[in-house]
Amino acid sequence: MFDTDSFDQLKQKLADWDQRYGSLRTEQEKNKSYRTESGIPVKPLYTPLDLAEQGFDYAKDLGFPGDPPYTRGPFPNMYREKPWRFTQYSGRSTAEETNRLYHEQLEAGLTSIEVAFDLPTQLGYDPDHPMAAGEVGKVGVPVKSLRDWEILFRGIDLDKVYVFSVSNAQASVILSMHLALAEKQGADLKRLLGGMHNDILKEYIARGNFIFPAEPSVRLVGDTMLYCSEMAPYYDARLMCSIHIGEAGANRIHEAAFALANSIAYLDEVQQRGVNVYEVVRHGLLCTTYCNHTDFFEEIAKIRAMRKLWGRVLSERYGVNDPAAQQLRFNGSQTGSPLTKQQPLNNVVRTAISVLIGALSGVQSVDPRTFDEGWGIATREAEILSLRTNQIVAHETRITNTVDPLAGSYFVEWLTHEMEERIWGEIMRIDQMGGMVRAIEAGYPQRVIAHDAYDRQKAIESGESIKVGVNAFREDESGRKVKTYKAKAEVARQHLQELETLRAERDNHAVQNALDNVMRVAERKPQGKDNNLMLPIMDAVKSLATTGEICTALRSVWGEYQQPRVI
Amino acid sequence: MIVAQEPPIRIMLAKLGLDGHDRGVKVVALGLKDHGFEVIYLGLHQTPEQAARAAMEEGVDVLGVSILSGAHETLVPRLMEQLRLQGTPEIPVVIGGFIPDDDLQPLLDMGVARIFLGDTPISEIASALHEIVAATSHRG
Repeated sequence: MFDTDSFDQLKQKLADWDQRYGSLRTEQEKNKSYRTESGIPVKPLYTPLDLAEQGFDYAKDLGFPGDPPYTRGPFPNMYREKPWRFTQYSGRSTAEETNRLYHEQLEAGLTSIEVAFDLPTQLGYDPDHPMAAGEVGKVGVPVKSLRDWEILFRGIDLDKVYVFSVSNAQASVILSMHLALAEKQGADLKRLLGGMHNDILKEYIARGNFIFPAEPSVRLVGDTMLYCSEMAPYYDARLMCSIHIGEAGANRIHEAAFALANSIAYLDEVQQRGVNVYEVVRHGLLCTTYCNHTDFFEEIAKIRAMRKLWGRVLSERYGVNDPAAQQLRFNGSQTGSPLTKQQPLNNVVRTAISVLIGALSGVQSVDPRTFDEGWGIATREAEILSLRTNQIVAHETRITNTVDPLAGSYFVEWLTHEMEERIWGEIMRIDQMGGMVRAIEAGYPQRVIAHDAYDRQKAIESGESIKVGVNAFREDESGRKVKTYKAKAEVARQHLQELETLRAERDNHAVQNALDNVMRVAERKPQGKDNNLMLPIMDAVKSLATTGEICTALRSVWGEYQQPRVI
Repeated sequence: MIVAQEPPIRIMLAKLGLDGHDRGVKVVALGLKDHGFEVIYLGLHQTPEQAARAAMEEGVDVLGVSILSGAHETLVPRLMEQLRLQGTPEIPVVIGGFIPDDDLQPLLDMGVARIFLGDTPISEIASALHEIVAATSHRG
C-alpha cells in the first residue's frame, strides 16, 4: 500500500498522536468495552496502518463496481441510472384484497411486490386441515391453488413487475403457479425476472416453517434450481437467505456464515447429481439479508464481505470463475425484532437508518418494516410511510450520485476484511461437521443462534445495550392505541367455501393422476437431470390440485421433519 | 429466592400452532435455566392437545406457550379445555409472545395465569412464575 519509509513515518506520527491525546481518555472510556454487535473489538481510530497490516490491496480487495470481487457493488453504475427497488413484504387475508393492496402499492411507487403467505399455505395445509384452525389468512394471504395466484396478480404483468415470494417448504408449488401464470399471461419465461426464498435449510435453523425432513427438502431445492436453469434462467429460483437467521438472533458473522453454508449445501446437491454447478449459478444469485440499524458499520461490512465471499466459494469450491456467476445481488430487509412496541413512531427513524444502510451497502432492493410492526399486521398507511422512507432516502439525499461512497474508509475496509475472515472461519467449521445438513442434525447452528439471541437479551437487560423506550428513555405507555390490520372473522369460512367449489368444479380424476405421479417421482432418486419433481408438481398445479394436496402427497412419501431437542 | 433444599420449578415451554418464531421462547428457556428453573422445551408446531398431554406426563409445575401468529383466539381456549378434560386444570398456563391489547383480558378470563409480552425482562418472568407456582395447590 505504501513504501517502508512512509509506513514507518506514519507509525511514528500515530504514536505521537496517541501520546498527546491518550491522556485525555477518561477512566470510563478506558474501561468500556467497544465492540461490534458480533463482538469484534473496535479501536478508537483507524488509519492506513490497519489496512496495511491486513495486507490490503485495492485491486484484489476492492476492484471496481461491476467486477469481481464485487466489494464495491455488483453493477458498474449502481444507483446513478435508477435507485434500488422499493419493496414491501405484505399480504392480506384473501387473494382479492391482496390484489387490491398490490395495485395501490404500485400506484404509490412500489417497484417490486413481495408476497406474504399465511402460515397454513407456508406449511402446506389447506384451510380445512385441523392444523390450520385459527391461522387462515392471519399473517398473509392463503394460496390454496393456482386460482388464488391468478386472482392475486389480476391486472399485474409478471414480466413487468418484479415479484418476490417468501416461499420455502412449499416453494416448488408456488414456483409452478408463478411460471404457469406467467406463461398464461404470455410472458417470455426465458426473460422472466422475479424470485423466491426457496432456502429450506434456514427454516430448520431459524424460521421454523419446514415440512419434510432435510434431505428430500434439499433435493426439492435442487429440482427447482435445475428446472429454472432451463425454463426460466433469469428467475431467482433460490435465494441465499441470511435475513431469517439474523432475525432469529444470530450475530452478523453467524448470520452470513450459516447462509453461505446453506447455499453450499444446495450446490453440493447439484454436484452430487453429476450436474455442473455452473448451470444453476450462471446468472448470479440474490441474497435477502438482515439490514438493521443496530450496528451501522458492521451491517455494511457484512454485505460487502458477503459479496466477496460468494465469489470465493464459487471459485475455490466449484471452480466457477465466470464473473457473471460470482455476482451476488442483495435485498436488504429490515426486520421486526430491533423495532419496539413502545413509542412506535421511533420506528420510523429506525427504518430510515436501515434504508440508508442498504443504500450505502449497495443493495438492489430494500424492504423496510412498518412502524406499527410491534402492534400487529400493518395498515396501508403504515406501509405507504415505509415506501416513502425508501423514496426519501433515494431521491432527496443525493447519496445515489456516486458508487460505493464508503469505500476507502479505513474503518469500513478494515471491518469488511475482518468480517470476511471470521465468516470464512465459521464456514470452515460447518465443513468440519460434514456440511450444513449434518450440522443441523447435530443442532449446532440452532444452539449458536439461540445463544446469540440470549446474549443480546442479556445486554439489553443489563443496560449495556440501549434500546430507546425499552430499557431507557421510557414513557408511560398506558392508554396508547395503534391501529392495525385484522383479518375479518368470516375469512376462514370464505376459504373453506372456495375450496369446496374448487373441488366440485375441477377434474378430480386428473388431479388424482397428477398427485399419484408426484408420489411416484418423489420415491425415485434424482439422477442427473432425471426424476425432477418440478414436472409432476407443475402438472398437479395446472390440474388445480391444492397446495395442501401436493404437500400431503410428498408427506406420504417422505414423512415430516422431527426437530432435535436443542435446549 | 430459591431455598437450597427446594426442588427447582419445572416449566414446560411450547410453541402452539404453526408459528415458527421461536427466538423469544428459546431466550426465555435459556434465561429461566439461568434462574434455576428446570425447563423442558417441546419445540414448534405443537397442538393444544399435544402440549396439554406432555405437561401432564411430565408433571410440570407450569406450562408456558408462545404464540406470535394471532392464532391465540382459537388455540388457547382449546388448550384450557384440554387441561380440564384430562383432569389437570390446576396446571397454571402462561402465555408469551405477541397478543394484541384487546385480547389480553379475554385470555385472562379464560383462566390464563399471566401474559408476558415482548421485551419483558427474564428476571420479571422468573419472579412472576415463582409467585404463580407458589399460589397453586398443585405444588402443595
